[in-house]
Amino acid sequence: MDNLLIALVLGLVFGFLLNKAGLTSYHKIVNVFRLTDMAVLKFMMSGLAVAMIGLYAMRGLGWITFPAVPATYVVGNLLGGLIFGVGMAVSGYCPGTCVAGAGEGKIDYLIPGILGFLTGAAAFGLTYETVFPQISRLAAFGNVTLGQLWNVNSWLLIGVFAVMSLFLFYLIDHGLIRKDRLTSTQ
Amino acid sequence: MDRIRKLFAQETWSPYLAGGLLGVVGLLAVGLSNHLLGASGGFENVAGILGKAVAPGAFDNMYFNFVMPAAITWNVVLLVGIFFGGTLGALSAKTFRWRSMPDKQWIEAFGPSRAKRWAFAFMGGAVLQYAAGIAGGCTSGLAISGGMLLAPAAFLFIAGMFGSGILTALIIYRARY
Repeated sequence: MDNLLIALVLGLVFGFLLNKAGLTSYHKIVNVFRLTDMAVLKFMMSGLAVAMIGLYAMRGLGWITFPAVPATYVVGNLLGGLIFGVGMAVSGYCPGTCVAGAGEGKIDYLIPGILGFLTGAAAFGLTYETVFPQISRLAAFGNVTLGQLWNVNSWLLIGVFAVMSLFLFYLIDHGLIRKDRLTSTQ
Repeated sequence: MDRIRKLFAQETWSPYLAGGLLGVVGLLAVGLSNHLLGASGGFENVAGILGKAVAPGAFDNMYFNFVMPAAITWNVVLLVGIFFGGTLGALSAKTFRWRSMPDKQWIEAFGPSRAKRWAFAFMGGAVLQYAAGIAGGCTSGLAISGGMLLAPAAFLFIAGMFGSGILTALIIYRARY
């Protein structure tokens, strides 16, 4: 019960932040793919950098243990990402931003959007036993981290990621971005 | 105090601030619940509950009994939170409004038809959720939650997502890309 209360509160903050970052708008999602508004990338990379540093620091201090690391099976992770990107660029949302957007009164997110997710979820669950074991067997490495796979110190990888993010943010904020020629934006 | 009130009333925050705070939420999920944030998982649980109500035979399988059980899980409660979090965000900036079409850019790309928008919204949702199933998670559950643990799966997913997202946007917008 306690645990579910935590889920509710974290969900509230999560949805609130998606709204405040503007990611519940069609144009914000699509324009990261048009390379004219990089808010999605900035949001994701900032979140990743903060969470990486925090998680590895807290584990280093012995405060937490990691939950199961999402499994790496190269073909499935990549193929899933490729199909996911198509859905995202067409609809202008992903599962989390669709739900938060529905909460803002966006009826196209609330009705066809959520019905679509539930339909996709049913379809996946009903075909799981024929599809998933096949795909998840290909180039499978199990629940590893990059540090374990490459046998390098995770802090080195985190450092590289953080520096890369800051460099990319600098470039984006100093002109390395395409000018939008659409009339409807801004 | 006044500055905080102003910040909450602001419609759009810096993506660095919002993203950084999301990182803290991801940390807290692990620290407090030993759970990973993830939006797509909850949809699987809810689809299982609905499916078992409508067609109990078909949904009585390994997936909906054990892998993603048809139940009100941590992930389902998280989804409820995300929904009302969106509401709170909109209310705080006074942008809450019932509307059935997205912003002007959609109309510039696809025209004003609501039937078309709703059809694409539905198909997009179905495709996204099936893809998240294959990949092992979505933007939150795999890209961010996996990435913060340094799972290779997350970076493969992100690469695929941006690659095909850019290509799809190119095809949709063509000369206006």
